[in-house]
Amino acid sequence: MTNLMPYARAISGRLLAGIPVFVLVTFGATALSSLAPGSAAQLILGDNATPEQIAQLNSAYGYDLPLWERYLKWLANLLRGDLGETLFSQQPVLQVVFDRAAVTFEIAFLAMLVSLISIPLAMFAASHPGGMVDRILRSVSSILLAVPTFVIVVLLSYIFAIVLRWLPATGWANLSQNPLANLRYVALPVLCLSLHQTAYLYRVARNEMVASLQEDFVQVARARGLPLGYIMFRHVLRPSMPQILTVMGLSLTYMLAGSFVVESYFAVPGIGWTVLTAVKSHDIPLVQAILSLTVVIFVVIFMLVDIGYAIIDPRVSVS
Amino acid sequence: MRPVDAHSNPASSTSLADIARAAMPATARLRFPGAGMFDMLAIAFLALLVLVALFVDIIPGLVSPKFPYGDFSQLPDLTLNGLFGTDEIGRSILSRVLYGARASLSIVLVATCLSVSVGILLGMLAGYYRGPLERMVDLYANTMSALPSILVVLAFVTATGTSVLAIMLILGILDIGTYARVAKAGVISQNNRDYVLAARAMGASDARIMIREILPNLVPALTAVMPTLMAGLIITEGSLSFLGYGIPAPAPSWGGMIAASTDLLSRFPVLIVGPTGAIVLTVYALNTVGDYLAQRLNSRERGN
Repeated sequence: MTNLMPYARAISGRLLAGIPVFVLVTFGATALSSLAPGSAAQLILGDNATPEQIAQLNSAYGYDLPLWERYLKWLANLLRGDLGETLFSQQPVLQVVFDRAAVTFEIAFLAMLVSLISIPLAMFAASHPGGMVDRILRSVSSILLAVPTFVIVVLLSYIFAIVLRWLPATGWANLSQNPLANLRYVALPVLCLSLHQTAYLYRVARNEMVASLQEDFVQVARARGLPLGYIMFRHVLRPSMPQILTVMGLSLTYMLAGSFVVESYFAVPGIGWTVLTAVKSHDIPLVQAILSLTVVIFVVIFMLVDIGYAIIDPRVSVS
Repeated sequence: MRPVDAHSNPASSTSLADIARAAMPATARLRFPGAGMFDMLAIAFLALLVLVALFVDIIPGLVSPKFPYGDFSQLPDLTLNGLFGTDEIGRSILSRVLYGARASLSIVLVATCLSVSVGILLGMLAGYYRGPLERMVDLYANTMSALPSILVVLAFVTATGTSVLAIMLILGILDIGTYARVAKAGVISQNNRDYVLAARAMGASDARIMIREILPNLVPALTAVMPTLMAGLIITEGSLSFLGYGIPAPAPSWGGMIAASTDLLSRFPVLIVGPTGAIVLTVYALNTVGDYLAQRLNSRERGN
């Protein structure tokens, strides 16, 4: 019978640690509407609204309640799976958030896949540290890390959409309706999002592997005359994996931050794009739901990372 | 108790060379051991950038005849006016890049001052007293690392509208967690060292131990993370300005200039060179200095 304890522990530990973070962020998100000058409804409706309209909207969204009461009400609504409707399109908030999150996930997932190309590159560079490839990749990765996503977006769309005309500059097709068109539209956003990620993952993986290569068990394997390629896969990749996994989990927030720029530039209807439209229309309920979703995703990702540790390193179950 | 005399005690860690070094004027001590050419170039570039941000009011008159607010001629004029031409309403790109440096750096400066000072305070207290305070600081740091800063700023903008001061404060508040974490880890690792125990045995107060004994030893670790976090601030501020929620439009900002140049990119790709070069070089220089400091820190801790 396989021992499931480490997995259970990874899940429960992360969930328990995630609860206070979730409460803190969602409470902060609820408090946002109290920061609005005047009242939230005043901000949303603008200067021409009558006091009656303002009072009506304030009571409809509960902005006239004290903060604590508003937060508890929001939590209760969350448990019932109903976070109300978006201010302007009047669609259910949760529905909108999940639809848009699916798009962002697709792009982030594909970008993460593309960035995995850095692992074989890192293995090669680490097996010949200080060599030509190592030095070239090092410079390339530090340059890539210095280019902000919004610059990458502009440059790549200039190259691929304007000069070469290979890919459409903007637009979107749903994955479920038209997978091929979806792939065409998704290509540039994924490429833009993955470049930074690839460089970052490469640096971490390369440094980890160079460190692993110094370990005694690798020296022994080399002394036994095992081929370097075999050693890299069998003895070096595995001890470097926890660090690589952590970085992949951490870079999720970078990906989400990047998705704001990428989605707004390429008009991709994902989370980032949704937030930007919500900002324009002061759609506080929608932003509140997205902030909460972000925290949940973060906790879940780190749970997965912990489960990954347990799979990679059986000793995790002992400690 | 008689003060230890460095000369009479050859085993003392204070040697004549140390005293001589301490007596040297500050400028003579400004050396960068182990720095390569790129590290020195990065440091020089950042120093230049700070000078530009400070004295930019004098510079535009020297390098470009046009003030950054333009004469509203219709098309970008790429033949005159300095290195990078002018934008669609005739404003000198170079002047705007230089003014943009001031805007970016002032946001970075205010945010960093806020996050470093509060972060050190919270981190040191958490590392020194542990207990519930430590758990609260950990919770804060974890929460802040779960949220992309751009999302937090946009959420605030949704509720309150755009304001540069708010952006500075929010970015500063978000980075508090990281500095607090570094300071906390430093205090925990220093807390049982001999010099702290000695100070405690001599009856020094907690405040004295924290400020006079431990704090100076946290400086290397804190300065090593600082450039990387500053680079992150530059990128976040640039992204916000690019999206139209950072530094408001007529004022020059690198992100805003890049956003404006995209409309004309197919006809005048040169427009993007100036602001892009500025932001990439700045982030590259900050990352390089950060790597250099981290490397110095590692070799120090290995006892070098």
